[in-house]
Amino acid sequence: MSKRQLAMVFDLNKCLGCQTCTIACKRLWTREEGMEYMWWATVNTMPGRGTPRDWEQSGGGFRDGVAQAGRLPSNKDFGEAWEFNHEEVFFGGKGDSAYLKVKGEEPDWGPNWDEDQGAGEYPNSYYFYLPRICNHCTHPACLEACPRKAILKREEDGIVLIDEDRCRGYRFCMEACPYKKIYFNHVKKVSQKCIFCFPRIEQGVAPACARQCPGRVRFVGYKDDPDGPIWKLVEKWKVAIPLHPEFGTDPNVFYVPPLSPPRFDAEGNIDESKPRIPDEYLVSLFGPKVLESLAVLKAEMAKTRAGGKSELLDVLIAYQWKSMFGGFDKDPASIEWKKA
Amino acid sequence: MLAPFVRGAPVEWLLDPGADPWRKTRPERLAMTGTPLVLQPTAAIRAAWTGQHIGAIDKVEIAALHNGDVLAFRLEWADGSENRDPGDTTAFSDAAAVLFPVVEGAPAISMGGPKLPVNAWYWRGDSDTQGRQVVAEGIGTSRTVDVSLVHAHGVWKDGRWRVVIARALRVQTSEPVVQLDTGKGAHFAVAVWEGGHRERGGIKAFSGAEWRSLSLAPVGGKA
Repeated sequence: MSKRQLAMVFDLNKCLGCQTCTIACKRLWTREEGMEYMWWATVNTMPGRGTPRDWEQSGGGFRDGVAQAGRLPSNKDFGEAWEFNHEEVFFGGKGDSAYLKVKGEEPDWGPNWDEDQGAGEYPNSYYFYLPRICNHCTHPACLEACPRKAILKREEDGIVLIDEDRCRGYRFCMEACPYKKIYFNHVKKVSQKCIFCFPRIEQGVAPACARQCPGRVRFVGYKDDPDGPIWKLVEKWKVAIPLHPEFGTDPNVFYVPPLSPPRFDAEGNIDESKPRIPDEYLVSLFGPKVLESLAVLKAEMAKTRAGGKSELLDVLIAYQWKSMFGGFDKDPASIEWKKA
Repeated sequence: MLAPFVRGAPVEWLLDPGADPWRKTRPERLAMTGTPLVLQPTAAIRAAWTGQHIGAIDKVEIAALHNGDVLAFRLEWADGSENRDPGDTTAFSDAAAVLFPVVEGAPAISMGGPKLPVNAWYWRGDSDTQGRQVVAEGIGTSRTVDVSLVHAHGVWKDGRWRVVIARALRVQTSEPVVQLDTGKGAHFAVAVWEGGHRERGGIKAFSGAEWRSLSLAPVGGKA
């Protein structure tokens, strides 16, 4: 068990699916050869099959503390880094006849393939965005699966890292991670994953995905810091809950679940008794605690509508941008970065 | 098994599994067996392999020779698929290794034990010529000690792998690796990983708990 644990909270009521987090991470960490298909930070539309395809049904993790067999996703499940016929469309003089398409074999999946599809029938169709990174779990299935002890959980902040010198690319970690947030580098032949931007953390800078988020979705900080946003949202107000707690790994990324407007009944009247996003679906993602979380959010919103004040909503609205980062609020431009 | 002496054969030549000196050897057939599920080092691996067959390769033909400086093994086995670069996240490379006890009493079945190191000379299809020297002191403790001292090369043809794995008899290192002498005996074991069957790490076929005997012909001795 680490002495302290860094964590994030993602407020799903604010995520607009713009993928700025995804790109911030890509630009910073996964631009080398062998990493083309990697997206340590992803945002998928839910309900959906996600990335890698059908990851929620891929096994791994623990049931009653016992390790479960997992499945390895294929290159196609992740979605390969396609090349497009830019030359032909933009420079080949065929702008009127050729259309932009993937070079080579037509893909049937990709990292954001089912974007904005969602579920439900009009007028009760619905969807929301689900950003994901490595959960830096308290009980990491990847770490426990590795036969080479190549994965470590840092004592000082609970960040889970892969030691690429010890890793031999066996991918038992990839099988065991129930969130499928470990990638295989095809050139270095080692497994790689989100590092919680630890070189930034060590300099007091929030991870890139959080700092770059234009929607103020991502809160950062130590779980036990009573002045920080994580403790308030997870421990005090208990509105931020882990994704798939039944996977048994104790994730340290927490979600404020999505509220939704009421449904329409068969006559087209508003049915206040049923939310557009079915409770059962949210329970299938976040467990039964999601209903308590939504109830707290609704009660606090009612309170402010009646003219009252809510510490919870003040935290979630994040009037002060820097308040989101639990003290990791230094400007990265103010630091002289050295490449190791 | 006898490792005959072949005068003046450079290691580059010996790394060709079809090279002339290998004709002087008499290959022996080793029956291979899967490593036991209970000895896999982590619960996740045991869960993933419960009810699955471990050890897809059931026999290996092995020969050995030396040139006075370098000891070379040639391993040969039937394998319908040449799995080199994994390419896909679900694919694994074929691999092979020769294992030695570094001290007397080091067990083969558990990859040595505390203060009972074993030393593997390792080849993997995705990094064909870069052999790897590994030391282990028990299950789940293997570590690479260098990637320069073991020479290797594999050729897959007509459904068969022929892989040569070689190292100098004696090497300068502070690591607990095997040091060999001509005219003397040694013990060894063999492991083969069938990448097409997702074998890697402790999931492999090996030549069993008993060490095999090898005698290195004296320099100048007749093959």
